[in-house]
Amino acid sequence: MPQAIIELRHISKSFPGILANDDISLTINQGEIFAILGENGAGKSTLASILFGMYSPDAGEIWLRGKKTNITSPARAVELDIGMVHQHFKLISEYSVTENIILGDEPLRRLAGIAGLDRKAAGTRIQELIDCYQFDLAPDALIEDIGVSSQQRVEILKMLYRSAEILIFDEPTAMLTPQETERLLAIIRRLRDNGKTIILITHKLEEIKLVADRCAILNHGRLIEVFDVASTSTQTMANRMVGYELNLNIKKTPPNFGRPVLEVSDLTVYDALKVKRVDAVSLKVHAGEVFALAGVAGNGQMELADAIAGLMDVHSGSIRLKGEEITKTTARRRACAGIAYIPEDRQQVGLILDFTVSENLMSKSYFRPPYCKGPFLQTKAAARLAEDICQRYDIRSAQGVATLVRSLSGGNQQKLIVAREIEAQGDLVIFVQPTRGLDIGATLGIRQRIIAERDKGRAVLLISLELEEVKALADTIGVIYNGRIAHTAPASEVGMKELGEYMLGVRK
Amino acid sequence: MNPIIIDGLSFALPLLIIAIGGIFSERSGVTNLALEGLLGFGAFTGGLCFVLITQILPMDSAVAFYLSFLAAALGGCAFSLIHALLCIKLRANQVISGVVINIAAVALTGFLTVQINTLAFAGASNKFLLTTAPRFSVPFLCDIPVLGAFFTKLYPFQPLIVVLAVICWFLLYRSRIGLRIRACGSNPQAVDAAGLSVGRIRLFAVAASGALAGLGGICFAYSISANVSPSIYFGGGFLAIAAMIFGNWKLVPTLLACLVFGFARSAASQLVLLLKMDSSVTDLAMIVPYALVLVLLVFFSRNTRAPKALGEVYDKGQR
Repeated sequence: MPQAIIELRHISKSFPGILANDDISLTINQGEIFAILGENGAGKSTLASILFGMYSPDAGEIWLRGKKTNITSPARAVELDIGMVHQHFKLISEYSVTENIILGDEPLRRLAGIAGLDRKAAGTRIQELIDCYQFDLAPDALIEDIGVSSQQRVEILKMLYRSAEILIFDEPTAMLTPQETERLLAIIRRLRDNGKTIILITHKLEEIKLVADRCAILNHGRLIEVFDVASTSTQTMANRMVGYELNLNIKKTPPNFGRPVLEVSDLTVYDALKVKRVDAVSLKVHAGEVFALAGVAGNGQMELADAIAGLMDVHSGSIRLKGEEITKTTARRRACAGIAYIPEDRQQVGLILDFTVSENLMSKSYFRPPYCKGPFLQTKAAARLAEDICQRYDIRSAQGVATLVRSLSGGNQQKLIVAREIEAQGDLVIFVQPTRGLDIGATLGIRQRIIAERDKGRAVLLISLELEEVKALADTIGVIYNGRIAHTAPASEVGMKELGEYMLGVRK
Repeated sequence: MNPIIIDGLSFALPLLIIAIGGIFSERSGVTNLALEGLLGFGAFTGGLCFVLITQILPMDSAVAFYLSFLAAALGGCAFSLIHALLCIKLRANQVISGVVINIAAVALTGFLTVQINTLAFAGASNKFLLTTAPRFSVPFLCDIPVLGAFFTKLYPFQPLIVVLAVICWFLLYRSRIGLRIRACGSNPQAVDAAGLSVGRIRLFAVAASGALAGLGGICFAYSISANVSPSIYFGGGFLAIAAMIFGNWKLVPTLLACLVFGFARSAASQLVLLLKMDSSVTDLAMIVPYALVLVLLVFFSRNTRAPKALGEVYDKGQR
């Protein structure tokens, strides 16, 4: 008989405009991996934040180890042996791994009566933990020098250092590559095998299928059901999650290529540190074609996209749009000439977070009617247009088009960028990692949108790190390796294995 | 050569302790433009303490002399709590708060000095007269050629500042509170997630900066003019801020910057003496450190690396 460690009874929590958690009751057992599944904005993160003491519930009770408990603050949660890895890491980038871990719980050593940090004791303790869980981390490395997945392991170590027994992971794989994800899931299993209780918040079904023992599904703040993962199919989980029958397959008609829209020839790009990122790349994207660029992260694909959109300077080579030379024109000129760009970093490049939905929707065309008349912005007209766009693209926000974009969920932020770029009616749409961090419903929506754009006769350049996405959408696949196009072929003529080999540089 | 080192050092060390105050505050994430006001208020409380005690004890009393340092530190600390209250508790803009404190300090200390002198000492002077601080040379060491000047004609507060600076270095880089202070200036969210109170850590850092600035203020009062008057607001606090920035908010490079400023100042005044120029030119020569700031700014601004969360009001709720 499994023993309950956490029991939630009738938890409710609302924010202005949203009921984030609606009467949720569930039980989590000692030593299991318990997944909480739901779309963006289903209330998963709120529930986790309540467990970690960041929010207090409006109603309901938390029973911990058989006792009714008020978790009033994260500090209290830590005292109760609860730890959490946040989606956005809470690390000091100038500090070493060790310093980050001990912050707040520092071992001290008295030297002539003065208490100084005992780095040696801290280092030994942390090395033990690293060895125990095979974390592959150097305790003295600075956070700014190590990668995202290493940083995440530092966050896990922080919890273990404080001898946490209940570990909450909030969307832990959102920022990771497939290989890193696999490693993380292995670590999570190892933690469970050492007796820890894991709460895994995610919208990725595959992960749940791989590691979780039980899974709770949330939809619009309500608990839909809790089931055994082993005996439930992925399709059933997906349907329950979005609340309707979901077709996981994208319907695609045979392509109908038109004239070439984008012609890149011998393009070479250096980054700010004078490192060659794009090396003599040539490619052609036709009207009505999805050209997908596959590749492992960091092989120059992002720089290539930036160069085409006009955000990075070109060293040599040329870019032509509909036959016209645009290599040296500004980003705004290119946007007006018909390049729509959905960048990889939506928060830094794609949006102005402290502007409203309506302002962000017009941020690329505010200088043109109907958004302006002479020198004056037409805010009312802009708001009307924005409302219409929000409705058509299903962008949900608490206070309509006047909502600050910062407060939108990641999925809605992405939908907003896609809406703005597609509404610009350009001939070329560049999608970079368009579904990163999105739940399955939103992902499907955006993928269908990509195909729809192709069918309207637009040229689509898709840059994705997910091979499965490339395979599902592409008419033509190019593989980029080390800044060069390693291979180009019609999508139907290359297999997954072959693609993988090109991506890793094994085959040339 | 010797006077340049001797005078330069006696200017650089008070500057250093004020700049270290700035480092405490800014490394915790609180912009501190109030150093000028804090050093002035510290000098005021120190001077007040001195004149009160010397009503009973003789003018050259060592007790009055050293107690005035304690009073200056306490006064600066107390006055800095206004900055802490505004910036941490009330989430005011830190730049404006600093500027307001500077203005308030000038007005308040000037007003209070005149009032106290009128009421208690029957004279409407805007000064507290201090004793001339005794100076000493370290035996043997002061006889070394050139380097000996570093041990010659020292004010009693100079070794005190050196000891304090070492303690501050230890606190900042080798102690628990230092780790927490620097963390607050880089990523307060991380500090909060570690179960610590960002507000309390910043309060400590700002209070420490007030105490150190106050201490520096009374040192200037003793060494420059032997009194506490409105001339204490000669820009030392701003120079300390510049030194801190050139020092990249790190203690040892800040020390070097302070020494450069100190020696530039003493070299300029020696030059005036050497060329037998009119004394009014001396005032002009005193701007040399500030002119140097402008020149150095051109070269060093690009490489500065301020604390990441400097000036950021910490708000738990923000994503």
